[in-house]
Amino acid sequence: MNRKDFLSTVVPVAVVATSFTKKNPFGKFDTLKKIPSYLKKGDLIGICCPSGHITMEECEAAINKMKEWGFEIRVGNTVGVTDFTFAGSDAERAKDMQQMLDNPEVKAIMLGRGGYGAVRMIDKIDFSKFVKNPKWIIGFSDATVFHCHINDHFGIATVHSKMCNSFPDDFSTATQTQIDSIDSIRQCLVGEKIKYERLPIVENRYGEGIGELVGGNLSIIQMLDGSVSDLDTEGKILFIEDVGEYAYKIDGMLWNLKRGRKLDRLKGLIIGAFSIKPDDPGEEFGKTIYDMVMEKVQEYHYPVCFNFPVGHVKENYALKCGMRHRLSVKKEGTVLECIE
Amino acid sequence: MLVCFINLDMTIIPPYLKLGDTIGIVCPAGYMPFEKAQTCIETLTDWGFKVVPGETLGHQFHYFSGTDEERCRDLQRMMDDRNIDAILCGRGGYGMGRIIDKLDFTKFKKHPKWIVGFSDITVLHSHLFSNFKIASMHAPMAAAFNDGEYKNQYIQSLRDALLGKRADYKTEGNILDQPGNAKGILVGGNLSLLVNVIGTPSDIKTKNKILFIEEIGEYIYSVDRMMYQLKRSGKLENLKALIIGRFSDMKDTTVPFGQTVEEAIKDLVRDYVYPICFGFPVSHDKENYALKVGVNYELKVKKDFVELKEK
Repeated sequence: MNRKDFLSTVVPVAVVATSFTKKNPFGKFDTLKKIPSYLKKGDLIGICCPSGHITMEECEAAINKMKEWGFEIRVGNTVGVTDFTFAGSDAERAKDMQQMLDNPEVKAIMLGRGGYGAVRMIDKIDFSKFVKNPKWIIGFSDATVFHCHINDHFGIATVHSKMCNSFPDDFSTATQTQIDSIDSIRQCLVGEKIKYERLPIVENRYGEGIGELVGGNLSIIQMLDGSVSDLDTEGKILFIEDVGEYAYKIDGMLWNLKRGRKLDRLKGLIIGAFSIKPDDPGEEFGKTIYDMVMEKVQEYHYPVCFNFPVGHVKENYALKCGMRHRLSVKKEGTVLECIE
Repeated sequence: MLVCFINLDMTIIPPYLKLGDTIGIVCPAGYMPFEKAQTCIETLTDWGFKVVPGETLGHQFHYFSGTDEERCRDLQRMMDDRNIDAILCGRGGYGMGRIIDKLDFTKFKKHPKWIVGFSDITVLHSHLFSNFKIASMHAPMAAAFNDGEYKNQYIQSLRDALLGKRADYKTEGNILDQPGNAKGILVGGNLSLLVNVIGTPSDIKTKNKILFIEEIGEYIYSVDRMMYQLKRSGKLENLKALIIGRFSDMKDTTVPFGQTVEEAIKDLVRDYVYPICFGFPVSHDKENYALKVGVNYELKVKKDFVELKEK
């Protein structure tokens, strides 16, 4: 990024930050429309790639399924573009995302895939039109950058869910949980009631909490610390997931959350899938995800639920970030329900 | 007895060692077999110091050199014991962040001493400087003395630093360097740990400082991501200078990142005008000069050489 680009991108972000982040005493963004319009048949969903690259072919299953749901699809310029691991240069990815955000015909934006790259382009994005006309942004993993940034700045709801690359190619051979996970995206987008029920797990801590749901990938949440996209968790229900990290790294990130006061004022904590990388021989960490989480939150009293179906797994249900939820963790089971 | 220096920037400089002083060795993080510290103990003794091994050296609890309580207690005792004049950490690994909030710095603040280490010990360096303005030493730890390396210039730089000799390190330039001169307080350490403490009570302010970073065993994209965190959290924009140490054993993804770590960092700091040097000998490899976190240095980045001189 040269200096000219830098200046031209900093200005709009600074303007947006000052004009739209003023919270009223109740922490609400009362001047803004907080929930994007739900989608109707015939509405347009855009696909773009602010992070890693994806081929057109890899998007086809998602495109077909979303058409089957009755939506039209617009494929962004970054789909099929490869710049090493990225779907184009930072400027190209920012431009594609900007066009999708600004185009009033596009009612939702599904990201092609995660990988890495959102943090390299997000400060180039001007959210002013998006704030006036919010639309659903859909994705997970690296898309956590958008969920946190948008929640923090604008309080606009987003959908944390599977993206184009995680739609099964052949629905006839997909498992029921895969099919249900994909269908939960549709349910979120059309405004159907969202309520997930889970069987009890002995490691859960019982209780009930009501709050705005926020969260995503743990590595990304830590990576946003101290930045303009830093996630505020106070009074909220936090969900976290991660993939392919060593146990000691997960432990370090959980300490970062705790020491950064992101765990002490929660209304509930949801632990999604943690696919932990096996310890190297002789470096056995000796702690499970249950141990690591509970030792950080033992002095707090909110409900904690483990193995929630969110993360880099086939069973990854759509969650509406930024919207009020009730989390009920009981010995009969766990219920997470969107209540607005 | 108490000969603490307070310099103009109000950093508290612990007393330097004299021959006959005592160095305690603790392992506040990962497990280290006692025999791996043997050469270090012998070398420190040869240098004229007494050595007291703590209870965590050679002790093991799974990955760690003891439970959190044991590691915390050992370090606490060494910090509080007036007969211990400096503390050398046996090794890093992971674990300092688990015990740092359990440590009581009351006595240590009154009677500071040099704490030596790097890697995971970055958490303690940052914590000491940001909370108490106490200087500490980013330098080789016990295992670096092995395999005949106790004679090398980097281990020798630790001895000189402990004895209060002012450092003057010269090293060759790098094609990516951004020339210039700067003076300022030196802070830094392992990149992963520096970003891990952001937003916590151990977070370090970098404004008007000379920042140094090093890393081992990460993916290139992950280093890029951490550098973006430093940048987006405002830690790069007001530096006096930036020292990029070695990034050892970097890994790449199946689809390559397309840049070396150094090229990626260079891209990211392109907007800044302060001096920057690449490949400085601070690292997880043997090239690892002793650096005092919290102390004033002058950095000269010239066309064909780099000099880092303690003021």
